[in-house]
Amino acid sequence: MTSRNQISGPILMEIPSDPSALFLVRCLMESLSQRLCFPEEDVARMTLALDEACTNVIRHAYGERADQRIVLRFLALDDRLEVQVRDFGVSPDLNALAPRDLGEIRPGGLGLHFIRGAMDEVQYEIPEGGGCLLRLVKFRRMGDAG
Amino acid sequence: MKVKVEEPRPRVFVVAPEGDVDMSSSPEVRKAMAPLFRQGTAQVIVDLSAVPYMDSSGIATLIEGLQLSHKGSIRFTLAGMSPSVEAAFELAHLKDVFEVLPDAQRALEEGSIR
Repeated sequence: MTSRNQISGPILMEIPSDPSALFLVRCLMESLSQRLCFPEEDVARMTLALDEACTNVIRHAYGERADQRIVLRFLALDDRLEVQVRDFGVSPDLNALAPRDLGEIRPGGLGLHFIRGAMDEVQYEIPEGGGCLLRLVKFRRMGDAG
Repeated sequence: MKVKVEEPRPRVFVVAPEGDVDMSSSPEVRKAMAPLFRQGTAQVIVDLSAVPYMDSSGIATLIEGLQLSHKGSIRFTLAGMSPSVEAAFELAHLKDVFEVLPDAQRALEEGSIR
């Protein structure tokens, strides 16, 4: 049996690349990270980060087509929560993925900043067959309750 | 998403979205808000008291509003931010860029004494 802070296997979720489905991703991320006793401030940031990751997939990988696949894999381990976001669209240019300068006041480009600000590890990978695999990790801190 | 638009005083508009503002709903906020930045408008207040969550799409929509307000010399005020929406603005280093007041009533009162 595992402790309350881990779940013995991955949790899988697949959504269409439809912005109307993003609330489901937020619900799962929020519930899971609360259950794992992350502080409320982290829960909000992690939820925002995953929402932004999926928004980027819809916008950039799928060009806002709403009928494509986004597969999410959540892994709740004793020391961390790991979320993988897999898409099958246009692969990003890994060298061009950088948050913009926040000194510029303009719409757009904030998503990557939110993702990197919330998560401890952010790794993009181009899998065989194309698309993208994004791996997001948040470590539990010593002293997080639970 | 429901977005209420009212004109509680002449030339002063309150835009009040209800629900999460994300990629799916921010176009509706933009559609309700953008036409208000026209000649003759004195102030546009966005009442966020019924918005529990906002992502970067929603923030981008409000930055567009800010830019339109600058072009038209129109006062643009955000009111009633929930703690989570406020946290997103802080993460984006944008809280000081907007005029932010605790609630829409206060924004209306402050507008009347200017």
